Amino acid sequence: MKTNLLKSLCIALTCCAGNLYAQSTCDESILIEPGVYEVPEIDEGGVPIPVCAPNGLAQGGGMWYRFSSDSSFTARIYTSFIENFGIDNRVHVYTGDCDNLVCVAGDDDSGTGFLCEVIWAVEEGLPYYVAFDDRWDNSGFIFEFSAISVEEPVTPPIGFNTVTFPELSRCLGTVDMDGDYLDDLMDVSNTQVFLLLQQEEGEVPFEFVNYPTEQAQFPYVWSIAAGDIDGDGYNDLVYGGGAGVSFMFRNPDGQSFSTFSTPDYVFSQRSNFVDLNNDGHLDAFVCHDVAPNVYYMNDGEGNLSFNQGGLSDVPDGGNYGSIWVDYNNDGLVDLFIAKCRGGVSAANYNQLFRNDGDGNFTDVSEEAGLYDPVQTWSSAWGDFDNDGWMDVLVGGSSGPHRLMRNNGDGTFTDITEGSGFESLLATGTEWVAYDFDNDGLIDILGANGHLCFNNGDMSFTCHTYPNLGNGPVGDFNNDGFLDIGNNNFLHYNEGNENNWLKINTQGLVSNVNGIGARLELYTPSGKQIRDVQSGVGFRFMHTLNVHFGMGEEEQIDSLVVNWPSGIVDVHSGLSPNQFVHLVEGEEFISDTTLSTSSPSIEPLKIYPNPTRDMLFIDWPRADAGAIIRVYDIHGRMLHQSNFAAQLSTAHLPQGLYIIELQGEAVRLRNKFIRH
Amino acid sequence: MKSFCLKTLLLIGIPVFLAISCNNDDEEHIADTGGIAAETQVRFVEDSLPYPRLSDYGFFEGKLSELQPVSGVLPYDLITPLFSDYALKKRFVWMKPGSKASYVADHKALNFEDGTVLIKHFYYENVQPGGGVKDMETRIMYRIGGEWHFAEYIWDEAGDEAHLHMDGAYLPVAWLDASGNEKGVDYRFPSELECFTCHKSGTNAIPLGPKPQNLDKDYPYTTGAQNQLLKWAAMGYLDGQIPTEINRLVAYDDPSEELGERLRSYLDVNCSSCHLEGSHCDYRPIRLAWNESESLENLGVCIEPQEFINSALSYIISPGNTARSAMHHRMQSVDEGERMPLLGRSLVHEEGLQLLTEYINSLETFCE
Repeated sequence: MKTNLLKSLCIALTCCAGNLYAQSTCDESILIEPGVYEVPEIDEGGVPIPVCAPNGLAQGGGMWYRFSSDSSFTARIYTSFIENFGIDNRVHVYTGDCDNLVCVAGDDDSGTGFLCEVIWAVEEGLPYYVAFDDRWDNSGFIFEFSAISVEEPVTPPIGFNTVTFPELSRCLGTVDMDGDYLDDLMDVSNTQVFLLLQQEEGEVPFEFVNYPTEQAQFPYVWSIAAGDIDGDGYNDLVYGGGAGVSFMFRNPDGQSFSTFSTPDYVFSQRSNFVDLNNDGHLDAFVCHDVAPNVYYMNDGEGNLSFNQGGLSDVPDGGNYGSIWVDYNNDGLVDLFIAKCRGGVSAANYNQLFRNDGDGNFTDVSEEAGLYDPVQTWSSAWGDFDNDGWMDVLVGGSSGPHRLMRNNGDGTFTDITEGSGFESLLATGTEWVAYDFDNDGLIDILGANGHLCFNNGDMSFTCHTYPNLGNGPVGDFNNDGFLDIGNNNFLHYNEGNENNWLKINTQGLVSNVNGIGARLELYTPSGKQIRDVQSGVGFRFMHTLNVHFGMGEEEQIDSLVVNWPSGIVDVHSGLSPNQFVHLVEGEEFISDTTLSTSSPSIEPLKIYPNPTRDMLFIDWPRADAGAIIRVYDIHGRMLHQSNFAAQLSTAHLPQGLYIIELQGEAVRLRNKFIRH
Repeated sequence: MKSFCLKTLLLIGIPVFLAISCNNDDEEHIADTGGIAAETQVRFVEDSLPYPRLSDYGFFEGKLSELQPVSGVLPYDLITPLFSDYALKKRFVWMKPGSKASYVADHKALNFEDGTVLIKHFYYENVQPGGGVKDMETRIMYRIGGEWHFAEYIWDEAGDEAHLHMDGAYLPVAWLDASGNEKGVDYRFPSELECFTCHKSGTNAIPLGPKPQNLDKDYPYTTGAQNQLLKWAAMGYLDGQIPTEINRLVAYDDPSEELGERLRSYLDVNCSSCHLEGSHCDYRPIRLAWNESESLENLGVCIEPQEFINSALSYIISPGNTARSAMHHRMQSVDEGERMPLLGRSLVHEEGLQLLTEYINSLETFCE
């Protein structure tokens, strides 16, 4: 036997020019028909690419088979034979040709143990390639190829085209970081911010840049959020670290970051940027796992001061997923905290704090019906039934989920039963609400990559996709359909015929990002609402752009922006399927407003601010025809003159004003306070 | 003392223990403890605790860094210790005259009374550059008013004194390991809240190390080797009513012990402070305490993880398959967001990881 084996090995070697087995590349795949086959040890040859099964690239080998059929049928590749037990194999199924393989199906572990099994619909006349790889194990095994009869699987409303990107090891954020309002992809280390900057249409999709930061005293561990703390037109970052919090301020050069930390011990969980005292400057909030929550107040000069207390004072914390949302439609962002804790403690009871608008937050958890010991790390808030009130799915990190409908009177009703979430056994730490199929109904992504589509009747149907886990959501190709990044996979939403509207908000009196703004979209089909939020889900930084799916609706009656300042802008005449840039107090003109050279990144300094009699303006790029205008917070123009380096403010009553500098190609706005 | 020995005779039936405990003569006991009488050199004024400096307590005599315990401050050791970034440790217990602990269960910390202090000292040897010993920190837990309190003392650069520091800190340190390889870590001194995160049950602070199952071993006292529980009883630090047999841990690094017991001992000490009913993460399905981990389900074998890291990690433990085991991934990770244990280590404990690897590879079942 030994001699025979050696002989056959030699023959194989001789005839196949270095390939141990004939079927180790796609070109040399073996033609199969229904039956049982033995796969030899996988130790070389063509690694199956693209990867159609979960769990990343193979190590170094593949075994290839092919067939085609003159009739359509349901095919199955089956490996759960007792002879294979203990082996960890994986399979990819392609159509196309060897130079252009297209994934049809794939599987890693659907069989017994770690064995694979895959079922797919064979179309008549198409070629199919079946490839096993050595992702986990290079042992040989047997498989069966058969035709089976099954019901058509339910296809989800949206497909994803999944690609990997080598530049980032993981995707932590999908938020604009270069001032063009297009979602970029972000990873960070202790000393660097890695970005794949989304490029304008027609160019390469992303430009990879790697910006140095000062050493983070408390590196990113548990969460990251973005917002423009210092109002310079670039988003800054907060890292929720294991023993403290670090801020990363984007430097004026746009290509590096300076850091700021206080020495305070914080076992960070979710972090958010939000304007806590509504002074027009973003503050930061960080959940504390083992103590009362902390927040950092911004004095408007970019200085942050540490505070603790008043926003959940449970002594042993339990704070995991903070989210700032206006649950009672009073125009003020409220705070819901998804909480979790082992043992007997009040720390695992979720909390809702109502923003009273005077710097006070009142614990209304019990009266709202949300004081619940569900073990949760985050919650997905959205108006799931489009009745104008924000509902919430409190997603279980362990144990059950809770879908709560907002009754509009400060209370919520548990409607989990019959929603589909009562039978979703999968759990997870990340829960977010977005409209992924643009049908005008907000869906939920959670439970380790379960995408639960809103059926429109407060029930949801969940689907999973290969390699799709939870990660940040954004629009990576500016096509109006939301995409998902996770680890180093990008899942491009394949889209459909539905209409959409995407908005970027720029505050003037309000904080620059417009975080905390409530947007209302009115169409003949009804009303939809969104809140601008920094820091949803548990860990990641999702897009700051507001996205509406509109289904087949083609008409927009109006879009109302309720800014945190109290200013209300009503925009009419908008058409769907565009990305619009809305500036507080300003009429929307056309979609060309969204220019890549954001005006606010121009170097401009006004001082002192606050001022009394005189404001000095340092604008090196002022051209000969430049004009200065001053507006009050209601948008009334109070002053217009040619540009000068100083402006008398003595005649102005005390209050907040907007100064506008109009150049030939640029318009800048900034706020100042008259004492 | 005669009656003491009789009591021990009745309650502790293991002959070898008897031999040891009764071979020590009475005088030696008194000399050893000094504190059975109402006198103690230790300063323990409740209203003044915690003291600003370690030396303020008077636990040690002579040069502080020598850690020569005064009488009444008794060194102890554990069968399997917690891994703390390869720091070496010394442990001591002291009780106010009249205080004593009592047995609750093999797997539960002794029931200590007010006036008890547990002292745990962390240091490295062969510190680079230059060699020598570097004292890092001395952690104290003291019990007053029916509650445990934490006090963290960080040693000064000269190694002369340790100062109270409750807010947490980092200090880089490098040393040569037993094979002469340089290792280093940005050593973490815990804040008070970090102490509490592990040392708690519900909202009450608790000690973790001094459980009968981990104390039930001989210690080389100056008076000779003796079982620690018997010694504590002889000192008056422990009520003599202890079961004759303790279901005790094995030394995780003793290759002569059974592999599963070694792993379970390791997991008990390193993981069960959180993966136990009433602990920080008891909502996760695994139960890793020694008395609960005989169940494969409690160990996480073929149990799907609730927290997603990546889709390859199908089970907490995948029999025969470390690459698909979340526990293995977390133990070999230094990423703070993924590593386990979460607190108390920044480095991979290679020996612990190797033990888990061997255990997973020894499992021959399949997950359905």
